[in-house]
Amino acid sequence: MDMKKLADSLHAYERKVLVALRTVQSVAELASETSLQPIEVMRGLQWLENKELITLTEDEQEFIELDSNGKLYAEKGLPERRFLKVLDREKTLDAVAKDADLSREESTVCIGVLKSKAAIELRKEKGLFVSLTEQGSKLLEKESLEEQFLARSFPVLLDSLSAEEKFAFDALMKRKQIVSLVRKKSYTGVLTDLGRELISVGVSGDAGEESLTPDMLTSGSWKGKQFRRYDVGIKVPKKPGARKHHYGRFLDEVREQFMALGFSEMSGPLVETEFWGMDALFMPQFHSARDIHGAYYTETPKSGEVDKKYMELVKGSHENGKGTISKGWGYQFSQQKTQQHILRTQGTALSARMLASPDLKIPGKYFSIARCFRPDVVDATHAPDFNQVEGIVVEEGLDFRHLKGLLNMFAKEFAHATKIKIKPAYFPFTEPSAELFAKHPDLGWIELGGSGILRPEVVKPLLGREVSVLAWGLGIDRIAMFNLGIKDIRELFSRKLDFIRGAKVI
Amino acid sequence: MPTITFSLEDLSGLVGKKLSVDEVDELVEYGKGELESHDAATGEVTVNFDDTNLPYLWSVEGVARMMRGILGLHKGLAPITVEGGPRTIIVDDSVKDIRPFISGFIAKGKKVDDYLIKQFIQLQDKLDESFGKRRSKVAIGIYSYEKVKFPIHYKATAPESVSFVPLGFKKEMTQAEILEEHPKGKEYASILEGMDRYPLLVDDEGKVLSFTPIINSDFTGRVEIGDEHLVIEATGTDEEAMHLAMNIFAYAFAERGFTIESLEVDYGSKKVVTPLLFDDTMKLTTEQVHKITGLDLKKREIIDLLERAGYDVSSSLNVSLPAYRRDQLHPYDLVEDIAIAYGYNNFPEVALKSYTIGTKSPISAFKDAFRELCVGSGFQEIMSAFLSNKSVMEELMQVKKAPLVRISNPMSETYSVVRSWILPELVDMLRHNTHVEYPQRIFEAGTVAVNLGKNVVDYEKVALLSVHDKANYTEVRSLVDYLLSVLGFSYTIEDREHDSFIPGRVGKIVVEGQDVGFLGELHPAVLDGVGVEMPACALELNLTNLFEISQKE
Repeated sequence: MDMKKLADSLHAYERKVLVALRTVQSVAELASETSLQPIEVMRGLQWLENKELITLTEDEQEFIELDSNGKLYAEKGLPERRFLKVLDREKTLDAVAKDADLSREESTVCIGVLKSKAAIELRKEKGLFVSLTEQGSKLLEKESLEEQFLARSFPVLLDSLSAEEKFAFDALMKRKQIVSLVRKKSYTGVLTDLGRELISVGVSGDAGEESLTPDMLTSGSWKGKQFRRYDVGIKVPKKPGARKHHYGRFLDEVREQFMALGFSEMSGPLVETEFWGMDALFMPQFHSARDIHGAYYTETPKSGEVDKKYMELVKGSHENGKGTISKGWGYQFSQQKTQQHILRTQGTALSARMLASPDLKIPGKYFSIARCFRPDVVDATHAPDFNQVEGIVVEEGLDFRHLKGLLNMFAKEFAHATKIKIKPAYFPFTEPSAELFAKHPDLGWIELGGSGILRPEVVKPLLGREVSVLAWGLGIDRIAMFNLGIKDIRELFSRKLDFIRGAKVI
Repeated sequence: MPTITFSLEDLSGLVGKKLSVDEVDELVEYGKGELESHDAATGEVTVNFDDTNLPYLWSVEGVARMMRGILGLHKGLAPITVEGGPRTIIVDDSVKDIRPFISGFIAKGKKVDDYLIKQFIQLQDKLDESFGKRRSKVAIGIYSYEKVKFPIHYKATAPESVSFVPLGFKKEMTQAEILEEHPKGKEYASILEGMDRYPLLVDDEGKVLSFTPIINSDFTGRVEIGDEHLVIEATGTDEEAMHLAMNIFAYAFAERGFTIESLEVDYGSKKVVTPLLFDDTMKLTTEQVHKITGLDLKKREIIDLLERAGYDVSSSLNVSLPAYRRDQLHPYDLVEDIAIAYGYNNFPEVALKSYTIGTKSPISAFKDAFRELCVGSGFQEIMSAFLSNKSVMEELMQVKKAPLVRISNPMSETYSVVRSWILPELVDMLRHNTHVEYPQRIFEAGTVAVNLGKNVVDYEKVALLSVHDKANYTEVRSLVDYLLSVLGFSYTIEDREHDSFIPGRVGKIVVEGQDVGFLGELHPAVLDGVGVEMPACALELNLTNLFEISQKE
């Protein structure tokens, strides 16, 4: 331990307290010894303890404090003294009370106290007359034990009282609101060996400058000055930095990855017509995902506009496979239902819009990170709304082998999967359809999402001709949970600021 | 997603090969199913099926049929023999506008035990609920043959005119009473809502078989252990779906060794013999197979794969479709079955060859720039659900009406509207963080949906909120100045009223004559509502509007 560095690091409070600790130990004593405020002494003690120069012990002890009357009497004098002081001659009790500024109650108490000490004489004659005795004159000359006690600085540790002080304290306790007892924490510091050693080396020098001020820089007075060494390993209050939300950051990275892979971002409305959300995807209007348990419907406006041209084409595709060699679903397509509003249930709605868009490029790769909504009871695996990353690859001549290649790439890029497995699945808009599972190095097989080749019944009405379109959707919330180490999906939208400030980033 | 439970031993028996749980796990994947659980004590397995278009898999018999094909134990169409029978169902014209179709058959010659009854009831239940749209489209009934005197009459009767004892009850009830008092009546009453007559099946002696689609009678409609001959029927509003449900049942019974005897349904104007085995074909070409699979499969291999998938195939690739399936709309549906039989995991992987350039949507890029400025200004980003409620969007913020899109079928009041602005989410957030040290500076950028009455418009918006003992108008005013000027917007601030803010301390932000947002000191009543004892200042900007203005310049 470098004693010089240690000495240089002492704050002015520490220096004073350290030296004073050779003789006294309590905060109150240290305060009077060092002329510091008790709060300053406390800081000094804590810093010294951090540096292992002292041991600080905490006790809960009883302290005597001045009560409201006590404070008054400490300033003005006890009522009995004030009573005696004005007895320059025999006076009526009322005159004494008036001259000494005593209340009726106080003067009554004084009579009792002073009578018992034989300091006054009383005479009754049309009222009560009071006069000073010889004993009373003597009493007036010297301070009573009670008065000496009240002159102390408070709080006073109960256990520290001398026998005389104890006597005075007991007497005062019997009287109204002069002193009171409170339990308080008290601190005492004891020098450690290191502390003693440091004192012997010497801490008497200047504390050094505490801070560098603009004035010092302006005047140049900093030159030749020493600054107090800090304890640079000190514990400090927490100060959170501001940053992007952990989940938002994750989605940003996903978006960047897709762009790096040559995918362009699509966007579209939250409140969607059933046409784009379902019918354009060849989901028959009687499909179970289309009742009140499968989708959220809106109160007003209940429906929206749908382009008549596309509506006719999709209607034909549903009813009898018009435009393709499909049989279609073989039912009466409702134009009223197709215009109904729903909250977007799947990101694939955006792909449908893209296929019909004049901006579509072939070959083209598109993706979206879409907020979606489904009527689920909110729990650890179901958030009130969720994100889906989905998209399409549009190009002549793509087949199932390309789909597998694409899925393999996704699994490696987004889930750091070592192996993938695809299983037969069912989606109304793809044929063949597959579910993607990835082998996560820690978690084993996890389901990543769905995919397939879009059916001609979807592509032809929207695009005008049959082109191979690979479609896929990834449950990005689940992947985010794995990557961010989150167990409960609701934590993605956590309301706890501490958690958000401290959440793991990728 | 239908879930079915059956005995592993029974499945092995039907497949003709002893199967382990792991093998079942693997094999159900070919039917787009997933093994959910296995009870080692009872030997029962539970399987989930994803594809609601393949209802034949909701029976252990159907599952076994699928597995036999995949394992190569049986190729081509599953065999079934239907004996023509003399018995009929006579359909009265009165059902025409109520529930017009009926189909049925007799299954003979095999004693049913407890397990078999449970299996058939399970299939009936799944078909009724899922495929039959909770019995509205199709509903199935099974009866003890011995108790039925043919022909069966299918008619519609006045709700109070016929009484019988419904299944599980002791007393006779009218159809109207059943809808009001019987648990099944109450459950399915909505199907018959608004009808003045209810469908009824009676035998030739007038004994009630069932009040379809609600409940069987306690006498004929109770199948008991040891019954050897059964009558199965389905009524419905969708004729094709109804025939498919009956075919699935007919195949299941045939698989169990029952003899299937047809019933003739007499509509008066026409007669239909049921079960109606569709006998459909679909033409496939090798080009179609090559185009989708990318595999260079020979015709012989295609035929082999199709036969494993349960089809009969001619040498010209004319494919006969099984009567228990109706999901092939396009030849590509056959191609998928080929791919599945081939094994998805046996496909090679091929990388995409075309080169494309990825781009961010322009509004995303604009929003990202904004988020960066917010973080740089010392604000922590927050993300909220887009679904919220009136109490947060309006009451909490002391505003009378926000332009909200309300959900007509919410799961809970908490998530019953789409947010129309973001600031309420930030304010609501404070409620959960009163113990966290101040300053709290938070922001969120994201989509909102604004209800314009005739239509709904989405906007990207950003809101910032600063809460600490010295938060005031000057702070947000400086913030607006920084955010807008650094992005090159010139703006003015105009007076406005806003109930979420202290009057006289709220302003409208105007860019190019357009109202793009507001800023101010939050009203103490707002803070009081979330238990915050610190002043707060906030702003909200419409990023979509700002973006569009920036595009014009």
